[in-house]
Amino acid sequence: MFQNHERTKRRESETGTNVNKVKQPTLSSGVRAMRIAGVVTAGAFMAGCAQNAPQDTFQPKGSNSQMIDDLARPVFYIAGVVGVVVFGVIAWVLFRYRDRGQAIPEQTHGKPALEIALTILPALILIGVAIPTVGVIMALDESDDTECIVNVTGQQWWWEFDYPVQDGCGGIEAPIITSGQMVIPADTNVLIRGTSRDVIHSFWIPALNGKRDMVPGRIHTLRMQAYEPGIYAGQCAEFCGLSHANMRMEVAALSDGDFETWKANQLEDYTSPADGSLAAVGEQTFIANCARCHQINGMKDDEGNPIVARPDLQVYSGASPNLTNLMTRNTFAGASWDLINDSYRDTVWGASPDEFGALYLDGVSDENFNEVDLREWLRNAPAKKPSYADPEELEATDGLYRGMPYLALSEDQIDQLLAYLLERK
Amino acid sequence: MFTTGSKFLIGASVVAVLSAVIYGIGQGGVMGTVGLSSAAVGLIGLTTLNLFLRDSNVFADDEAPVESSAAAQYAPSASVWPLGFAFASVVMAVGLVSYQPILVIGLIALLAAGTEWTVQAWSERASGDVEHNAAVRSRLSNPLEYPVGSIIAAGVVIYGFSRVMLWLSKTNTVVAFAVLATVVVAVAFVLSFGRKIKTGAMGGILAVGAIAMIAAGTLTGLDGERDIPVFETTAIWQEEGILHAEKYAEGAEKGKHPAELICESPEAFPEADKKASQTVAAKSGTFQVFLRENGSLDYDVPGNLPEGSDAITLIRSNPSNVIFRNESNEEARLTLDLGTETFEVEEGEETIGIEARNQVCTTLIEPGAAQIFTLEVDQPSFAFADVENPNGDGGDGFYFFVPGIEAATLQVIVP
Repeated sequence: MFQNHERTKRRESETGTNVNKVKQPTLSSGVRAMRIAGVVTAGAFMAGCAQNAPQDTFQPKGSNSQMIDDLARPVFYIAGVVGVVVFGVIAWVLFRYRDRGQAIPEQTHGKPALEIALTILPALILIGVAIPTVGVIMALDESDDTECIVNVTGQQWWWEFDYPVQDGCGGIEAPIITSGQMVIPADTNVLIRGTSRDVIHSFWIPALNGKRDMVPGRIHTLRMQAYEPGIYAGQCAEFCGLSHANMRMEVAALSDGDFETWKANQLEDYTSPADGSLAAVGEQTFIANCARCHQINGMKDDEGNPIVARPDLQVYSGASPNLTNLMTRNTFAGASWDLINDSYRDTVWGASPDEFGALYLDGVSDENFNEVDLREWLRNAPAKKPSYADPEELEATDGLYRGMPYLALSEDQIDQLLAYLLERK
Repeated sequence: MFTTGSKFLIGASVVAVLSAVIYGIGQGGVMGTVGLSSAAVGLIGLTTLNLFLRDSNVFADDEAPVESSAAAQYAPSASVWPLGFAFASVVMAVGLVSYQPILVIGLIALLAAGTEWTVQAWSERASGDVEHNAAVRSRLSNPLEYPVGSIIAAGVVIYGFSRVMLWLSKTNTVVAFAVLATVVVAVAFVLSFGRKIKTGAMGGILAVGAIAMIAAGTLTGLDGERDIPVFETTAIWQEEGILHAEKYAEGAEKGKHPAELICESPEAFPEADKKASQTVAAKSGTFQVFLRENGSLDYDVPGNLPEGSDAITLIRSNPSNVIFRNESNEEARLTLDLGTETFEVEEGEETIGIEARNQVCTTLIEPGAAQIFTLEVDQPSFAFADVENPNGDGGDGFYFFVPGIEAATLQVIVP
């Protein structure tokens, strides 16, 4: 301060002016704080303006999520108004009664009327919120109106979907089993029977319903319905270990006709690759390296016996994804990577409800195949998706892996497997 | 100038030095010279210290040493913590060469004793007032000592009590617990209505009781628990019938149990079917299989499964809870037949494989009762698609069936 004063005096003597008389545009600390708060607030609001947000819980695409939205929005608005009023009153009191050296006002022992009012008012607000909340919770728990059942089983770090034999879902005569992407008929109440094979997971497709924990040894139900054909993204919502962030899932809703097509395709008999083709070599490579864990229904050995995968002897959860119709899905490895290229993915995700079914059912082809990620996966899966894959550190799981281990495949073997898997449609 | 003690120590030091020199030169023995030299060094050290402290004597006319001399300081009070610290060190050493838990216990005891010792030593230098120092120590340590000490004491007493209960026979356990509870209530009753008892006497009674309980727990713990018989289950009997077929057949001949494997028998087995069904507590998330009055098997699953399916689908490699509800008029057990499996049996030094039905079953359930069992099937049913199941009414794959009731079959599909 003293140095500044000296400088000012020096400048006055040098220029012959009185510096203090020149008005400088200065900001008070209050104005500065307001500006910073404004920038932060604007940033927070702008963060909510994402265009590509498939897991936005405020964009319901089904009756169940719509119920949640219809409840959450008014509650949010009421809470917002209450919050603004409360913080406004606090700010006004802080400003109005700030310490200005005045005498301490008379100290009283409360105002019973005001205190009773301030107790009753919040209670009434909470009762007002509780009544519709309980109603929605009860309505979401209903399962009597479901027309289709899908078993959803979580494990580190992927989701399995199996369709039990049933008259629902338009009739299923043999079990269908898939992973990563659950396919359901649109505009149909689907009942999910969820559980877990290892630790607690949580199934959450924000556009279609709320979360439901999947607990080992228990079956929890969740109703799912999509208004229109389309694809809806989700994410495991309960921390479940090293690759929790890579445990994603998607729901593809199809029209009734497309769903029938999908079912029929899933239950088609196994077709071996043409003799002498690279895919035929890949089939043998698959049997030698992958079939211990991954089931491909219908595959038989040289003696005509079914080749049965025994993931329960290799993997801690006891299961590995069934790859019978791998290329009818758009994703792999816990829906964390695409089997289709970016361009085709954008087309599928951006398709109208009328166009979606055909595009989805086309699945992976030579033209849209995203070979890079699958190749990297086969080359070294644990490097792509962390999974406690060090064989030296499996004491805690009795030598069982969690996730796909490093298989030391050669580039030739990977080429063979890619050719074989590309035919699994 | 020299105090009595100083004179003595100076003399002793001189003798030690001279002895070391003479012995070293005259005898040339290394060990003896080193010993005498060490004694000389020690005595010189003590002499120096004593010269400084002046035998801890204070002259009557000297006022300054009244507060500053060593003799004017309060002697440290008796403390158990150095002993505890040493004991904990030994426990740690024992733990290092034996079991890790002992090492951990020793480490905890070492830290506790060290902390207490430190706090006590610190508090005794807080002031010249002994009572104040004690109060300082209590204020710092008691909030931790009392709860932790109480938990440890209660834990030891409870553990001792549990050893006693596990040592007594099943009947005597009930008697002992009832007697103890009666004594506690009676004493409490007397105390509440009787004359006021002194705190010390009450503490003494409780201490004696606690010590008695710990002693009894130690003795009974060393003697071991009572024999707790293994409850016979259907799984044990099934395994016995497959793995030790000859012995099993001998038992059947003697009338100890039916001749068939338990999971294929409609008859009661002596132990496994005793008091078979209990109230089933699981109310949700379960599969249910019903034996109807007409002898057919039916099922229900979580959620509203559209009717019409003749098969129940279980999730593969995952525990499924299945409640068997017997709605028929006779006792029945539910069995799941999972095809054939090779069971390994040790015969001498060799291991041989025995092919047998892979079955799990409930106990024999009385009419109107229910039992839950948890199933985990690791192989898919299509693996047995071409293998006829004799318990599946001529079909193949996996089946629920009820031994003795031909119509009671239900196909099980595992994807």
